Amino acid sequence: MLKRYAVLWFPFLLTDWYTKHNPQLTDTPFVFAMPERGRMCVSAVSPLAAELGVIPNMVVADARAAIPKLEVLQDNPLRKERLLKSMGLWCMRYTPMVSVDISGYLILDITGCAHLWGGEEAYLQEIYLQLKQKGYEARIGIASTIGAAWAIAQYGQHGTIIPDNVQQEVLSTMPIACLRLESNLLERLKKLGFRTVVSVMQIPPQVLKRRFGEDLGKRVRQALGEEEELITPLKPVIPYAERLPCLEPIRTAKGIEIAIEKLLGMLCKRLMGEGKGLRKAKLSCYRVDGKVKYIEVGTSRASAHIAHLLDLFKQQIPTIAPGWGIEVFVLEAIKVEEAIPTQELLWSGEGNLENTALAELLDRFKGRDTHCRIRRFLPDEHYWPERSIKLATSLTEKRTTTWRTDRPRPTHLLNPPHPIEVTAPIPDYPPMLFRYNGEVHLIKKADGPERIERAWWIEQGEHRDYYYVEDDQGRRYWLFRLGHYQGDRSANWYLHGFFA
Amino acid sequence: MGYIELQITSNFSFLRGASHPEELVEQAVSLGYEAIAITDRNSLAGAVRAHVAARKHRIHFILGCRLDLLDGSSLLAYPKNKKGYSQLCSLLSTGNLRAEKGKCHLYKKDVYAYKQDIIFVVVPPATLSAGFELDAIFIENSTEYAAHLSGQVYLGLSRIYQGDDTKRLFRLYDLAEQLHIPVVALGDVHYHIPERRALQDILTCVREKCTIYTAGFRLHPNAERYLKPQGEMERLFASYPEALEHTIQIADACRFSLDELEYVYPEELTQEGRSPQEELEIWVWQGAKKRFNEEELEKHTPTIQMELDFIRRKNYASYFLTVYDYVRFARERGILCQGRGSAANSIVCYCLEITSVNPTDIKLLFARFMSDARDEPPDIDVDFEHERREEVIQYIYEKYGRDRAAIVATVTQERVKGALRDVGKAMGLSMDALNRLSQTIGSHWDSTLEPDRFKEHGFHVEDPHFRKILELAEQLIGFPRQLGQHTGGFVITQGKIHELCPIIPARMEDRTNLEWNKDDLEALGFLKVDVLGLGMLTCIRKGFDLIKKHYGLELELTSMKTDDPQVYAMISLADTLGVFQIESRAQMSMLPRLKPETFYDLVIEVAIVRPGPIQGDMVHPYLRRRKKEEPIDYPSEEIESILERTLGVPLFQEQAMEIAIVAAGFTPAEADALRRSMATFKSKGEVSHFRDKMVNGMVAKGYEEEFAQRVFKQLEGFGSYGFPESHAASFALLVYVSSWIKCHYPDVFAAALLNSQPMGFYQPAQIIIDARRHGVEVLPVDINYSVWDNTLEGEFEVKPHKLRLGFRQVKGLKEENIEKLMQYRHNPYTRVDELADMLSVFTLERLADADAFRSIGLDRRQALWEVAAIQDRQVALFKGQDTASPQEKQIRLPFMSDSEHVVQDYATTGLSIKAHPVSFLRKKLDLLHVLPTDKLSLVKNGMPVKVCGLITVRQRPGTAKGVLFVTIEDETGFANLVLWGKVFEKYRREILQAKLLMVTGHIQVEERVIHVVVQQCFNLNSWLLELENTPEGTAEGVFHKGRNFK
Repeated sequence: MLKRYAVLWFPFLLTDWYTKHNPQLTDTPFVFAMPERGRMCVSAVSPLAAELGVIPNMVVADARAAIPKLEVLQDNPLRKERLLKSMGLWCMRYTPMVSVDISGYLILDITGCAHLWGGEEAYLQEIYLQLKQKGYEARIGIASTIGAAWAIAQYGQHGTIIPDNVQQEVLSTMPIACLRLESNLLERLKKLGFRTVVSVMQIPPQVLKRRFGEDLGKRVRQALGEEEELITPLKPVIPYAERLPCLEPIRTAKGIEIAIEKLLGMLCKRLMGEGKGLRKAKLSCYRVDGKVKYIEVGTSRASAHIAHLLDLFKQQIPTIAPGWGIEVFVLEAIKVEEAIPTQELLWSGEGNLENTALAELLDRFKGRDTHCRIRRFLPDEHYWPERSIKLATSLTEKRTTTWRTDRPRPTHLLNPPHPIEVTAPIPDYPPMLFRYNGEVHLIKKADGPERIERAWWIEQGEHRDYYYVEDDQGRRYWLFRLGHYQGDRSANWYLHGFFA
Repeated sequence: MGYIELQITSNFSFLRGASHPEELVEQAVSLGYEAIAITDRNSLAGAVRAHVAARKHRIHFILGCRLDLLDGSSLLAYPKNKKGYSQLCSLLSTGNLRAEKGKCHLYKKDVYAYKQDIIFVVVPPATLSAGFELDAIFIENSTEYAAHLSGQVYLGLSRIYQGDDTKRLFRLYDLAEQLHIPVVALGDVHYHIPERRALQDILTCVREKCTIYTAGFRLHPNAERYLKPQGEMERLFASYPEALEHTIQIADACRFSLDELEYVYPEELTQEGRSPQEELEIWVWQGAKKRFNEEELEKHTPTIQMELDFIRRKNYASYFLTVYDYVRFARERGILCQGRGSAANSIVCYCLEITSVNPTDIKLLFARFMSDARDEPPDIDVDFEHERREEVIQYIYEKYGRDRAAIVATVTQERVKGALRDVGKAMGLSMDALNRLSQTIGSHWDSTLEPDRFKEHGFHVEDPHFRKILELAEQLIGFPRQLGQHTGGFVITQGKIHELCPIIPARMEDRTNLEWNKDDLEALGFLKVDVLGLGMLTCIRKGFDLIKKHYGLELELTSMKTDDPQVYAMISLADTLGVFQIESRAQMSMLPRLKPETFYDLVIEVAIVRPGPIQGDMVHPYLRRRKKEEPIDYPSEEIESILERTLGVPLFQEQAMEIAIVAAGFTPAEADALRRSMATFKSKGEVSHFRDKMVNGMVAKGYEEEFAQRVFKQLEGFGSYGFPESHAASFALLVYVSSWIKCHYPDVFAAALLNSQPMGFYQPAQIIIDARRHGVEVLPVDINYSVWDNTLEGEFEVKPHKLRLGFRQVKGLKEENIEKLMQYRHNPYTRVDELADMLSVFTLERLADADAFRSIGLDRRQALWEVAAIQDRQVALFKGQDTASPQEKQIRLPFMSDSEHVVQDYATTGLSIKAHPVSFLRKKLDLLHVLPTDKLSLVKNGMPVKVCGLITVRQRPGTAKGVLFVTIEDETGFANLVLWGKVFEKYRREILQAKLLMVTGHIQVEERVIHVVVQQCFNLNSWLLELENTPEGTAEGVFHKGRNFK
């Protein structure tokens, strides 16, 4: 069959992707940059930046000197590859054979696909417009060889479709760079004055090979279709078929049933994973004597339900004549359709945070009493007590730091701290007694002060001197004095928490 | 009771301490401390500064250090005496040399090895365990210290308000009792006042590479690490009175002062038991006889005698001998050198051949630079050929040994830009905002953080967050950041140098640095000598060699007469491309105005085009007075004596200082302090203090206030960017010599300059163009005629020779790769494959690219084709047999046009002698009425013009606000463009992206200096592509981007 290929090149892949997620950048020239030998170099440019003369591999400082409003974003070397792969997967709706070249383009083997969209012209338009709608600019070429299609995508007029067997004509006038050669070789050819493909095609192949090695000739032949070029598909097309060889030839109905169940198990697992179900399946039984027996089943809607399918097969098991025994079973899904997967197994999780019941319980508590506030707190790296904890936003949020244990902290922190009256020796010794809620507490033991300053970059104000105290009843409190003791005014004291 | 602070971290523990040593000392003084110790981490880098400050305020400075060990708890160490000090230095040196630069790897065993006469204090841990116990490892370490350092170790106690201080002190005291070691109170000071806490937090962020928002527990919880009043410390340690007493005990025991260090010159300097002075006098008189004839000698004898007496009085003989020693070595080896600096222009140095400028010729009086009143050490910087300076350095190392010679450190300081960036980053500004901040600070001599300038750049200066950033950055400016290596300052000692100061490994192998910079050394009376490299000396030496070889003339720096009118005529025409110092565009445009006629004019020329005189607006008054358009008057007689030489305008650094002394009543020491304070950023307050003092002083003496203000402004410019007269004189000699070579031997000059690259302002292409303009024929690189260097070809003594380009001009070639080619070139090569065995394919390709096979009849394309076939050559067993290549049908390679060749020439050698790229575009340019640059001189002032050329230089000097100077080059010459700020902003992209630039504008002629004042710019890079006749050519990439000065 005549092979046909489409090659898609994305001139602004990264920046298109970024603009899509950050529409405010639509009118701003911007680039991605990565460090290269100690300098920040441009790795991808947006269309606007390209118009202003910014090109990849330029040093960022130079670009910015010329265009002060240029935005520079940090690139990540893996991002482009990931993005291309996902584009490749998306393209699989147009053909199952998609290959990704990480230098920035996609190769689609469209053999036998284009007519489904009404011909190559319409097929190409459809892909182009769909991509455009997704926000990606693409250049596409279609030809009978990957090389020719690539040449069009990168160097030719976007949308050109080269009919079969005229690639030579089209390619010969194109620049030599369209042959996908490594940069060193390309550089040498250019220096020798070979500018177009035709200029190398005129040289005898042996002469070329002697001087430039295998690669040049190979690329030319590939582009012209004289040598095959293999691509590695993004996802191999695997037929929905499973094999089961048996140790001993099987002759009993029960044995066949077990074999079918096993095969169904394997096949249905894969089908479910892909969100598909089978409509028609065929079981081939290879007998010891070399003969093959078949049975077929069909379903009314796509199904990957093992028990159901097994039942269907069971009905036909009697029609199989095992003879001297069956040594290999092959189960093949002949017709497969998209299916809405249904649950095979009832849920049997264990109680933990993922358990929705807990969340529901909490919701019920809250619903019952509007004053009831249940919150989850996580530690935060701050000395200031009120900031040392933060409210968790969800039940599953993980803490980013550990709870501190090197300083005593109360189990119950008052918010806000409660003013108290205190008798304390000056300037910063622990108090001797304090009055809280009308009750006088005589302090028997105390430690401190622990002086904590405010986070100056957030707020202004006086520091606190904290004391851990124990009263005559053995109850322990966390007290603090705001600011330094100053002779002319009485100090402000507060109770801030209770220890367990 | 009483208390002395013994644990202080200054900002010389980089990114930890938040106060300068001086600030800490001053704070201690104002709190009434009688003594203070500084204990930076594994370093004594800040010790001299603290020592100097303490000496000034007359308090006792206890030199100390915090030893952070890799295998044990930290210790504080205080040497009791000189012996202990050299032990400590050796200890730190050991740790430094073991680790990479900036680190110090010390172990307990090292401490035990160097423990003599040192008092140690164990640094207490900051926390107790959850069970209120001391860390077991700490107990173990302390026990070990108690045993090994018995009798000289204390256990430190500190209160830092962490809540459990009482318990911790109790535990520590308990431990000390068990171990029978005394306790001592410590403050763990990180800054002199609590207000520095924010800055200290910022430093922590910079150190930990985080922002203030994410720093968390890496910050200190409170601001208690400040220098507390003694009374407060007494209160805090009231329960442990002996801990307080012991601080006094330690302070009393450690009476070591850095003043005790005595710099001893190496004794190798003298022979036969002579004293240095005797030795010096012998050499000086011997030299004098060589330099002068009898009549001159008689005339100069009193001067020489006067200088020698001065040297004797100040005991500087050894210093002169040290310099003389390696200068003599250099002369013996034929390495050119030239001294400069305050003492270099003495007649003694002239006799010793340290300088080639005879000071009496230009009335440079020694007394003007050195006097008994000014207690400055002598300063002689010697420049050597930059390619051979290493030989001199190695000589010094070999003569004195590596443990007796070391290079001086430079302390890198936070500059305005860096400080803003560091603070901004720590405060969480985005990269974008940071970049904008940096842009706000234009040139590096803008050292103020005026909020208004930030407003112009769109920052909210009222925003408290932003205010805080500015405030903190202001504090950070001037902080030491790291220790670097001085470009060539050496300290050479009699004893082991690491006993005088800790040494640190330098980045270059086998070199060691001191921890102290030149100010520190000066403060201690150590003398350093400078061994510097200068590219122009290399060029001059190569020039002298070529002149000798091709024209049979032997020249020396000293033998040059500086009065050749032809040379001055050339200089006055600004025909000075490549010449030392006066080749920059600013210099070139000054030359036709100044029209130097004598050597002293050159001295002035060198000094006048400097930021100091330009900013102080001294250039124009000088020019007017020189042309007699303005009367030369002096405000007073005393000033006349100072400014006479420069027509009443102060142009040299020392003139401004002399005015301060004579007219404002400064003492010489004060004048010097003033100059210093301007060179550093840290003491802005001091500068304004000096301003008041100077202006008031001058007004009091009856000078106009305006004059006083102007002199001060000039002084400000001089601080860091002015030239002293003696420097200018030494440089002027090199200016003259290089001009002389260029004037009489343009072929030699071009070859020598190309062979000394990279240096100077210009690209090889421009040097070649200039040489051809002076009638030198330039020959291409060729495998049969070239050697590595550029050479001259021609008949002996016939002027001018042809310049043959050398392989060094070919990009990507290395000298060792090409050696064999030259070695086996007995007969000319005739085929490419003859070279196949000697050179790699890579090298052959580079040669083919450079079009170096013309002598065997191949152009670059054919040569490359041949080289490509070499890869297929028969090797080993089949060696020598024919390959298929000869049988091949002859291939016709695509034709290569001249313009393509030129582009390729530029790509491989950075220049082309075939044609100038612009010449191929001339027809097109003619259609646009674009003038060749050599026609500009025919255009009348003010007329509109269009010019086009390759950009060679873009320059935006800080002295000309917002103005951009661009130089373009076409096949006929250069054009100087001027862009006003607004034009530049409008055409920013064109200017910065273009390699080929076309502009429209009008001509401005001022005293034969022609400028094009630009109105519009066009980027014609796309035209360059046409040179290759291809839309995706490489032409654009091969041309030099043009030199940018920001």
